[in-house]
Amino acid sequence: MSTPLRFALVGNPNCGKTSLFNRLTGSRAKVANYPGVTVERRIGALSGFSSGAELLDLPGTYSLTVTSPDEQVARDIILGKMGSETLPDALIAVVDATNLRLGLRLVMELKELNRPLILVLNQIDAAHKRGIEINTAGLSQALGVPVVETVAVHNHGADALLQTLKDFAANPRDTDVVRLPAEHGSVENSYHKIESLMSQFVIQPDHSPAWQDKLDAVVMHPVLGLFILFGILLVIFQAVFAWAAPVMEVIEAGTEFLGESVLNILPEGILQDFLVNGLIAGMGGVVVFLPQIVILFFFILILEDSGYLTRAAFLLDRPMRGIGLSGRSFIPLLSSFACAVPGVMATRTIQDPLERMIAIMVAPLMTCSARLPVYALIIAAFIPEQTVLGIFNLQGLTLFALYLAGIVSASVVAWVMRRRQTREEFPLLLELPSYRWPMAYHVMIGLRQRTWIFLRRVGTIILALSIVLWFLATYPAAPEGATHSAIEYSFAGQLGIWMQPLFAPLGFTWEMCIALIPAMAAREVAVSALATVYAVGGESMLGETIGNSWGLPVALAYLAWFVYAPQCIATIAVVRRETNSRAQTAFFTVYLFALAYFAAWATYQIAMLWH
Amino acid sequence: MTTAISALSTTLDPAPALRLDQCAKGAELRIIELLSQPLFGQQDAGVTLRLKELGFLPGAHLKVIGFGLMGRDPMAIQINGTKFALRRTEAAKVTVEPLNEPGSDQ
Repeated sequence: MSTPLRFALVGNPNCGKTSLFNRLTGSRAKVANYPGVTVERRIGALSGFSSGAELLDLPGTYSLTVTSPDEQVARDIILGKMGSETLPDALIAVVDATNLRLGLRLVMELKELNRPLILVLNQIDAAHKRGIEINTAGLSQALGVPVVETVAVHNHGADALLQTLKDFAANPRDTDVVRLPAEHGSVENSYHKIESLMSQFVIQPDHSPAWQDKLDAVVMHPVLGLFILFGILLVIFQAVFAWAAPVMEVIEAGTEFLGESVLNILPEGILQDFLVNGLIAGMGGVVVFLPQIVILFFFILILEDSGYLTRAAFLLDRPMRGIGLSGRSFIPLLSSFACAVPGVMATRTIQDPLERMIAIMVAPLMTCSARLPVYALIIAAFIPEQTVLGIFNLQGLTLFALYLAGIVSASVVAWVMRRRQTREEFPLLLELPSYRWPMAYHVMIGLRQRTWIFLRRVGTIILALSIVLWFLATYPAAPEGATHSAIEYSFAGQLGIWMQPLFAPLGFTWEMCIALIPAMAAREVAVSALATVYAVGGESMLGETIGNSWGLPVALAYLAWFVYAPQCIATIAVVRRETNSRAQTAFFTVYLFALAYFAAWATYQIAMLWH
Repeated sequence: MTTAISALSTTLDPAPALRLDQCAKGAELRIIELLSQPLFGQQDAGVTLRLKELGFLPGAHLKVIGFGLMGRDPMAIQINGTKFALRRTEAAKVTVEPLNEPGSDQ
């Protein structure tokens, strides 16, 4: 055998496939206690196989009769119908041992395919804790497939599974015939078989743990539950501002110290200017927001991992139907608060194609973490730090208002889009997984991944753009006897001055126009671009500068622009890929820019009336 | 929405069978059968199949564990130890009868 063996992990949403995948491959795919996190299949190498072996992690599915695009991906790969993908040599069916019936039903369907199959009983520790006892050997014999017990969040059982895979590699079953799954009608039969298996090999107490039900009685309470949900959201936004502040001050002080050191060490000249105003100011201005992003992701990861998010989806299903979406859109839209790119990809779990299109269109209106640096800079510069109603920080409230503006606008846009179409009913049918104590291991992996992605952006895109910007803002130099500031003679200044008439109705200055261009690559670069244009280092100094030169109406208009503008090429690219339609992508881009222009214009004009 | 459901009840219920969406919180029930739901149009067969795959089969025992705020929609159901959120339109596909002895199931 020369080609590597391919194993595919198949199972219900939320059965722990992805964490098992991480254990086996050492890769760091995202893991979360939400059905539908693995929207694309992931692939990783397995070590210890003579001819090599790969493991595929497929999106969770309940059935091979698919109802959503992510289930379609799983089905196509299992059946070897996925374009260039070859048929997996063996399927590893992962079943949540605390949720056996549902998992075994898919196993019954997979067995029909006549493909080599290995059954994994995952989360066996949780099952034991609930008093569920499984006769693994008996089950294995009755099903005619190897059965392995694992605890995906620990290494327990991963070695045993690896050994089973190696045994398979030593004697691969030669079956190239894929039997297509039988058409409908066999569900009763398979449940009949499952009941018989359950009665022979499984001892299961009647009740799920009482604390889970008690927690659900509170969390899913129609009134209390909504209070809890909004309370959680408010705490997150407060924390992003309040908790991050001390760390941000340290980073800021470090950046300023670094800049001053360079000023003292190097002689005045191009190199000194490049290092201080180009590199240190550009990158430091963005790195300072790392603590806020880490805190935001910390909360999102904990909520995902605990199983709470589906309860939120349950609570919000009916309100979201009012605007033409459903509870299923809640998770993709919430992910978009971190970044619209995974948010748009997560819309694959939505069954209704029209709802999915609308969710994609409004996902970027959710305030992503890349906007946070821009918001934070302007809020800190213009909104006084004072306490409102005894407990709320005015700056935190302003941030909340900006998030709310995005949510309200998304609702209006979704409502308008849905109104234009005839309505067809789609089912909700959402599993509410058991609560799980968030695993420090998962949260750490998630945060490390996010921090790494952010710092890599700082080290690549933001570094490159800082250099380019510095160059554009420095050359050509001001002529002898120049009356204006040097930057007005530079390429960047000329570009900004050329753009400015277009943005004059919004009150934008040419400096602000310059910052919009690199922000297309990454919104947060607007901050370092402003730092470069105003030739100041450090966030507080930049804040002071813009605080003195912008005026409140302009600042608010700039915020309004950033609420709407599709200032991110990566998002436009993922929309193109997920909609697979040029017309829809063009519509997406144009409508958001138009909305941004109008919102900034209206904000500026209204604010001027008061000013 | 409400008119559609009440229209449904007249067309689907020649005999007064109890539908899941009519049940109160805390009710423990046994499924009798799955009905068609005209609101789902062509995909109704698919919805029926998915419900069955998730364990909503005649004879299965379930419990109503909660409702959403507006119009008591969606509803949360526990079946075979797994919890699901169902809209009333889906729940209306399921006819049920009360279990007289709670806890005697399975």
